[in-house]
Amino acid sequence: MNRLQQLFALTAVALLALATGLYFRTGEVESATAPPTPPGLMDAALADLKGVKTPLGTWKGKVLVINFWATWCAPCRKEIPEFIRMQRKLGPRGLQFVGIAIDEKDKVEPYAREIGINYPILVGELDAVELSRTLGNQLGALPFTVIVDRSGKVVKTELGGVDEAHLTSVIQPLLQ
Amino acid sequence: MNRRHWLCVAGACLVPSRVMAVSPDLLEPQKAFRVSARLVPGGDVQVRFTVAHGYYLYRDKLRFSIEPAGAQVGAPHLPDGSIKNDEFFGTVVTYRGEVAIVIPARLPPGADRLTLRIVSQGCADAGICYTPQDQRLVLTADGAEAMPPAPRNLLDTLEGR
Repeated sequence: MNRLQQLFALTAVALLALATGLYFRTGEVESATAPPTPPGLMDAALADLKGVKTPLGTWKGKVLVINFWATWCAPCRKEIPEFIRMQRKLGPRGLQFVGIAIDEKDKVEPYAREIGINYPILVGELDAVELSRTLGNQLGALPFTVIVDRSGKVVKTELGGVDEAHLTSVIQPLLQ
Repeated sequence: MNRRHWLCVAGACLVPSRVMAVSPDLLEPQKAFRVSARLVPGGDVQVRFTVAHGYYLYRDKLRFSIEPAGAQVGAPHLPDGSIKNDEFFGTVVTYRGEVAIVIPARLPPGADRLTLRIVSQGCADAGICYTPQDQRLVLTADGAEAMPPAPRNLLDTLEGR
């Protein structure tokens, strides 16, 4: 190893040490990469398909996957069958999907029935858009998915479609 | 271990884990779907959308209305657009690039300006869709376009509402 290679090696080790220090400084590995949890997230309430205001805290203690979607959004429709399958498979272990439709109730209801959505659906308009913004969706775009652990802390957010394998890899450790 | 490998090892520690499923470089809807309009002599309203590369607007989601209420407004002349065979919505017409739309209009006597309200909805090829955008442009009879108020998401004038 010549002097230049040694210099590079030392620089790399120093960067590694710096990154490791920064990574663990906050005490928890997840908090270094997880988006912040908005205060009062579990108190946020939207109407369900029967018109009953339902707070997200209804499902506290479960691993929550909150999916913002709409019937007019093709990428949203594409991933919903996977969510139905995951809810069926992992629901008994404590996984709970909650769909938040930024849409009209009259369009959401028949669609949910038609494709057999097996998890609760809440419906909102500007209030739902605002909720997604507080969770980091600055573009107000769909689909937008938020993974929350059993303590109510946001672990991950995903803008755009997510595939079952990726979502499962994030969720599995939270179900332990 | 060569130089490139070292840098890669060090760099990997500095790259945060994947958070977004699509590129974080997505445009704000106002930049993805730029719109301008002017009132031409004789009264017609010319609307121009400039859709950024990699984005598209749905023709059937476009809505136009004009104030004051006394203005006479005809049906917008919408260009053909491109046919998109959507997995979920069947055949839909989309607009990409430059889109010119003419709306026949006549101002009421004495009026020298009108407010054009545009509702549009589009998506990115990257796999996201934007909530409907509601924009208002103030157009004057001398052909100028006054500064529009900030657009907002619009959810209560979706098709069928």
